[in-house]
Amino acid sequence: MLTRYGTLLFAAGFAFLLFVLFTSQPLGAPPMLAGQALLDEAATTVGAANIVTAVVLAYRGIDTLGELSILFAAATAVGLVLGSAHRTLGAGAPREPGGFILRAGVDFLFPLLLLVGFYIIVHGHLTPGGGFQGGVVLAAAFVLPVLARPTETLSHKAMARVEGLAGGVFILTGLGALAFDRAFLAPLLGPGQLGALLSAGTLPVLYLAVGLKVGAELASLLLRLSEDEADA
Amino acid sequence: MSEFALLTLLIGALGLVALGIGGLVLSRNLFRVVLALALAEAGANLLLVLVGFRQSAWGAIAPIIESGRDAASLTPSMVDPIPQALVLTAIVIGVGVQALALSLAIRAYGAYGTLDMNALRARMETDIDSAAGTQPARCQHAPAGGRPLPPISAGARRADTPGTPA
Amino acid sequence: MSHSLLALVVALPLLAAFLPPLLPGAIRRLLGPLALLLVAALGVYLWRITLIEPVSLALGDFRPPLGVVFYVDSVAALFVLAVALVTLLLWPWRGDTSENLDRKQSLTLVLAAACGGLAVSGDLFNVYVFYELAAVAGYGLAAGGGTAAARVATFRYLILGSLGSLLALLGITLIYFRAGTLNLAHLADLAPQTLHDPFGLAAFFLILLGLGVKAELFLVNTWAPEIYATAEARVSALLAGLVSKLALLVLARLLVLVFPLPEARGALLILGMLGMLTGEFAAFRARDIKRMLAWSSIGQLGAAFIAFSIPGSLGLAAGLAIALHHLLVKPALFLLAERWGGGLARLAGAARRSPFGAALFALFALSLIGVPPLPGFWAKYLLLSGLAAQPDNLYLLAGLVVLVTTVVEAVYLFRVIGMLHGRDAAHSEKPQNMALDMTLPASTLAGSGAFAALLLAVALAAPWLTAPLARMALQMNDSAAYVARVLPATATSEATK
Repeated sequence: MLTRYGTLLFAAGFAFLLFVLFTSQPLGAPPMLAGQALLDEAATTVGAANIVTAVVLAYRGIDTLGELSILFAAATAVGLVLGSAHRTLGAGAPREPGGFILRAGVDFLFPLLLLVGFYIIVHGHLTPGGGFQGGVVLAAAFVLPVLARPTETLSHKAMARVEGLAGGVFILTGLGALAFDRAFLAPLLGPGQLGALLSAGTLPVLYLAVGLKVGAELASLLLRLSEDEADA
Repeated sequence: MSEFALLTLLIGALGLVALGIGGLVLSRNLFRVVLALALAEAGANLLLVLVGFRQSAWGAIAPIIESGRDAASLTPSMVDPIPQALVLTAIVIGVGVQALALSLAIRAYGAYGTLDMNALRARMETDIDSAAGTQPARCQHAPAGGRPLPPISAGARRADTPGTPA
Repeated sequence: MSHSLLALVVALPLLAAFLPPLLPGAIRRLLGPLALLLVAALGVYLWRITLIEPVSLALGDFRPPLGVVFYVDSVAALFVLAVALVTLLLWPWRGDTSENLDRKQSLTLVLAAACGGLAVSGDLFNVYVFYELAAVAGYGLAAGGGTAAARVATFRYLILGSLGSLLALLGITLIYFRAGTLNLAHLADLAPQTLHDPFGLAAFFLILLGLGVKAELFLVNTWAPEIYATAEARVSALLAGLVSKLALLVLARLLVLVFPLPEARGALLILGMLGMLTGEFAAFRARDIKRMLAWSSIGQLGAAFIAFSIPGSLGLAAGLAIALHHLLVKPALFLLAERWGGGLARLAGAARRSPFGAALFALFALSLIGVPPLPGFWAKYLLLSGLAAQPDNLYLLAGLVVLVTTVVEAVYLFRVIGMLHGRDAAHSEKPQNMALDMTLPASTLAGSGAFAALLLAVALAAPWLTAPLARMALQMNDSAAYVARVLPATATSEATK
């Protein structure tokens, strides 16, 4: 009992400490030393109408590479923990196909989800959204059919290929800048016209790679967890 | 956004962090521990976004230049785009870590048949000792410093039964 | 722009981790070692040029406070080299299945990339990303041991690690809230006006506790004995040898650049002393080698924290010496413990089966204790002389702690050496002893032999190494040069206006 109250007291105290720290200067008026300078120049140097995308892919592209690697490492580690992909289905609970409504609904939704996913990805530099958000929609598009027809699972090998290809494209695009005597991950091809679909140089290519990688990784994560559930 | 709304958001975010940390320490069920972690991370991410909020005459302006608008007139009052990019990164990191935690919990349940943290820890210690061929020493599993997840002596026995998702 | 090669420290291992599914079997096995060799070569090249002058690279060509910066001084370059070499020596050549081997190799490469990134990154949030990357790869490798106990230990490690990351993220949020920038040079420039107050200290303590998880800092090191007892030996060696050092390096850099405050140093000193005392005494009481090594590594890292808390380049030199020495010795000891991992009593007579292995163990143990001609002696000598030069009584107390724990260290390490050379007759009635093969495999001997060769080389070259070490410490301590290199004067005035 004492630990319980002690912990609660500690958590509340910690929150209070943070509250004091966060109210020590006014909210809503951040210093934005780097942020304001970035806002001022992003539209002309990078050319992405969505400035968050300019930060994610251009200014802090290395963070995004690191975050893709974290997803990759997590997916790889889950594979290592949950074991090989080639497990015999039906070892555990029998997996029955979904009902008619589920199957028909999934058939109807699959192309729509693909469309929406790719739309979100390729417009990532113009509107809210981008590779991560679109990638999640893509992953949903590929996981839904497996829910409807559990016997037809996706090939982990194919997804690993997509993952590897997308990761490779991201890094090689970044390294391509070295050939033009620019630094790693510098956007190439110039900013283009602000707000056009084909603008912001190589950013859409990078976001496509991010979207495919995130989609493949999330789908393989979800499928591995669901396969394992069927076996348990 | 008014001062009051900002303060409410701040308290909400801090509440999530506090609940998450409390849950992280107090929960004995592995699944609940992962949920508590997700809560705390959500709170931290909310704080990070809140830090980049800028009050302007028209409320908050998202850092996206709409077509047909003049960029130079918008940028002085847009919110800070950097924390938004950071939060995107932090969320994705959190997803990866939580998926890994769940898969570990599934395997631990498969091997030992329980999701109770204390029971699992006792079994793990026994396994380590038998693998090393030593007698379990009383002193060794009371490491100096705080434990990550201190045990609860009474009141939470029901966590023993694996009734939660496996 | 000739330093644009800097980015390869991170890019090459990641590329080698991503590409294997697209390549045929023969090439994919070679890709990882090849990438690491290239990074090692790059590390040597960087070390040679940075001993003269540090270099920096603005990723994406964005001017520093906006984009992410990589900054390499001779310390960072040496760590890049060490990361590549140690990862190569601990490379997983064999696995249970080809699929799992692929996964382990990918995770090892990701870990190497993350460690390289931690060494060179000059941006606070970028450091956090690489730290998390190293953490996730570490969880995967630690769970890869395959036993159920390893999974439970990894889960507990993961929860503690995530709690630490959460605290670090909160600290970073606080710093951004106050300073409005994440670039370390920019922060160093702004810190005297904005962060040298209780607010900044609170942020530093959050980051210290957060990153301290991987650096086995006192209070957040409970994972170490569990993980090192259950994970594969080479994984323990990677985590104890590399990841902890890189987390330590990042903390030391933060301390030097942004928070050179007596309160921050005091926290490091006290936590370091507590870590050293608890670690070494727990190692004394441990009954099996792996956990003994785990606790002793907590103690050694405590010594490194004490060293980094000494102000000035003297303390940095001592800290670097301790960290680099530990980086050479601990992985080799964990490799030896792979086969000798059981309880201490089982080791009786093992020296007769593997005399070379026992000799290696004795060599590493002697260096760890600090017997004069070996590098461990110089590391401890630097630490003690640095502590003695401080006027504050707390530093003298720390010196006393170092001396006392050295005695403890000597007692438990000599106990093991004695056990190795002891007669196994007294214990042979236990049937399980017969079944165990205490002969070390050739690969283990080769691996730790390589570390021993490096250690002896350092011992022989010690008189010529003091000058570079002092130079490295001076460079690391020179925060004005860091700021000047990353932020040329125009950029600073413009960004801070």
